[in-house]
Amino acid sequence: MSLAIFRAMLLGLLRDRGALLMSFFLPAVFFVIMAEIFTATTGERLNLNLVVLDEVESETTTRLLDALIESDVLTVLPERGASREDVRARVRSGGADIGLVIRADAEPLESAGGFGAAPLLVVVDPARGVAEPMLTGQIRRAYFSALPDVAMGNVVAELENQFLTLDEIQREEVDAGLIEMREDAAAGREVGWSFEDLLARESVISGEALNLVAYSAGAVAFMFLLFASVHGAVSLLEEEETGILDRVLAGPGGMGVLVNGKFLYVVGQGLVQVTVIFAVAWLIYGVDLPGRLGPWAVVSLAASLACAGLAMLLATACRTRRQAQTVANTVILVLSALGGSMVPRFLMPELLKDLGWLTPNTWALEAYSGIFWRGEALREVMLPVALLTATGIVGWLAARTLAHRKAYGD
Amino acid sequence: MNPATAAPGTAPLLDLTGIRKTLAGRLVLDDVSLSVNAGETVVLLGPNGAGKTTLLGTACGRIAPDDGRASLAGGDPRRNVSVRQTLGFVPQQIALYPYLSVRENLEVFGRMMGVARDALNARIEEALAWSGLEDRARDRVDVLSGGMQRRLNIVASVLHQPGLIMLDEPTVGVDVNARERIHELLRRLRADGLGILLTTHDLGQATTLADRVVFLLDGRVRLEGSPGALIRDVYGDSREITITLSTMPTRDQHLRLTESGLAPVHDGRTWTGSVDRDFDGVARWNQKLTDMALTAAEIRVREPSLEGVFLRLTGEVLSL
Repeated sequence: MSLAIFRAMLLGLLRDRGALLMSFFLPAVFFVIMAEIFTATTGERLNLNLVVLDEVESETTTRLLDALIESDVLTVLPERGASREDVRARVRSGGADIGLVIRADAEPLESAGGFGAAPLLVVVDPARGVAEPMLTGQIRRAYFSALPDVAMGNVVAELENQFLTLDEIQREEVDAGLIEMREDAAAGREVGWSFEDLLARESVISGEALNLVAYSAGAVAFMFLLFASVHGAVSLLEEEETGILDRVLAGPGGMGVLVNGKFLYVVGQGLVQVTVIFAVAWLIYGVDLPGRLGPWAVVSLAASLACAGLAMLLATACRTRRQAQTVANTVILVLSALGGSMVPRFLMPELLKDLGWLTPNTWALEAYSGIFWRGEALREVMLPVALLTATGIVGWLAARTLAHRKAYGD
Repeated sequence: MNPATAAPGTAPLLDLTGIRKTLAGRLVLDDVSLSVNAGETVVLLGPNGAGKTTLLGTACGRIAPDDGRASLAGGDPRRNVSVRQTLGFVPQQIALYPYLSVRENLEVFGRMMGVARDALNARIEEALAWSGLEDRARDRVDVLSGGMQRRLNIVASVLHQPGLIMLDEPTVGVDVNARERIHELLRRLRADGLGILLTTHDLGQATTLADRVVFLLDGRVRLEGSPGALIRDVYGDSREITITLSTMPTRDQHLRLTESGLAPVHDGRTWTGSVDRDFDGVARWNQKLTDMALTAAEIRVREPSLEGVFLRLTGEVLSL
């Protein structure tokens, strides 16, 4: 009998293009957007729009700007700043993330020794705080790689100023060396020296960007699971309004048939939805779904059970569809915000991170992160899986009790 | 349809005895007794708020009476789920899935009512032919006419071959032709031996279909019997006369109208009674009014009906 309800709901979904899009296409699109944002903002793919104004326009400043143009994380806007005020206005309006002015009324780049005004002015909007260290890092890199002769020349000048005086021959050798450095840099040969030469890098996990995609797949999947589950479950209230409930309750199956059928359907719908999102994560972003299929299936089933249980409980606790939708939207948004579906948990303050443990979103995300990010075995994520499963079963049983009480008054 | 009915003469399919129910501090049903036998159509009449829906809920087992006993096919419909197999309930709304076809709806509701998978197809074919919907089997319900939807609404509740079918306002919002087709459907169900309990505001429908009508008012059964017998009891061989006065009667005039055998209808300006079949009957009533210093704005004489019975005995119009 419950399968009859399952079938009715399935056909209803298949014939409602809007619901079909909302259930499967929208989550996939939303996931791609979130994946792009997550990986861009927390990974190495952030791209800054830079507006520049070169008041000097010398061979040296041109070389510096050319090097910045080559940077992976900067987009030097083709329309140069007309004036310093113009640069400020464009940064203020958001037309550019950050601005750079090479000032004519300051020490020249070639002989900057800290005695006069700095030649480079960085124009920032505090709202985009991350832009400043990124740009200065890129300038530093460009300064040493594209203008090695200028950097070295300034060091030599400082050396002479502080410690010793070069004789005529040494001076000629230094000048020849600086010219050679400049020619090598212009020819694209690796020359010069930089602070980066002092740094080596090691990551404790491989492919951060990929793991953030896996994180966002779990985050988006669970949030949409909650929305879709509520949408499926509140059809119970719709059936109450259309009299279908009266017809079924007068029969031998009673309320249990309806609740069981809908619970089964919502779980199945949730599994398909999660599958679509992770399939996109696998096909587009290379998340290792085939390699982690077993653990993923267990976590996804537990997540679908939890969402179905909560949604059925909500649908049976509310009196009308409108009430259920209002409560659901509020609860889902709070759970998703706290639980890490909207902002990565690792970016949250400690208090919110701790509060997140009260939400099923966090349990699901911890389980997905465990298997895709930290490479854990299923047994290592059994706690969140058990919590999700228990939530689903308790929600389902409570929904059955509430629904029975509502239908038969005992 | 071959309903699993009890043979006539055996215990009633539905037997409600001394039902009392209070909801939100209001006595909704007060010592109501009602039975429906196999092959019998019982029409439950009453204005809004009379307790009809609560009574149907009690009969289905959804509402527990405070006092009294409900028996469906010999069992308690609340405690014994299996006896609900003998019941088909047709809600007042079109309780169908609009996005499913006629056949798909029947498949879904047939399975939900416990029809075995291997028997379902044959039952559906039979039901489609019987209800005249076989040409529309593949059509979605939301494109059917209101009358067809109403017919399907009934058919979806009898696929499991119940012995008793309860219908809540089965012809609301349909035109005369569609209403007649539904009546025909109900007559066939009755002829097949089903017991039928239906609620309606349509007294013409009650007169046409009912073997027995039960008037429910303020939670009590005020009248019960066959339409013909009830009309005969009230009117005998007379006809029904309805007089609308030009002015409201005074207290004294009110008393004299009552003493003369008329009963007031709710507003006090309209009175109803019986009149002999001879042509002088109206003239005599007119003379009586003149003697009471009253004039009639309208005098109407017609064959007696259930509406008149209800009016005479309750002083209330059966409001729609």
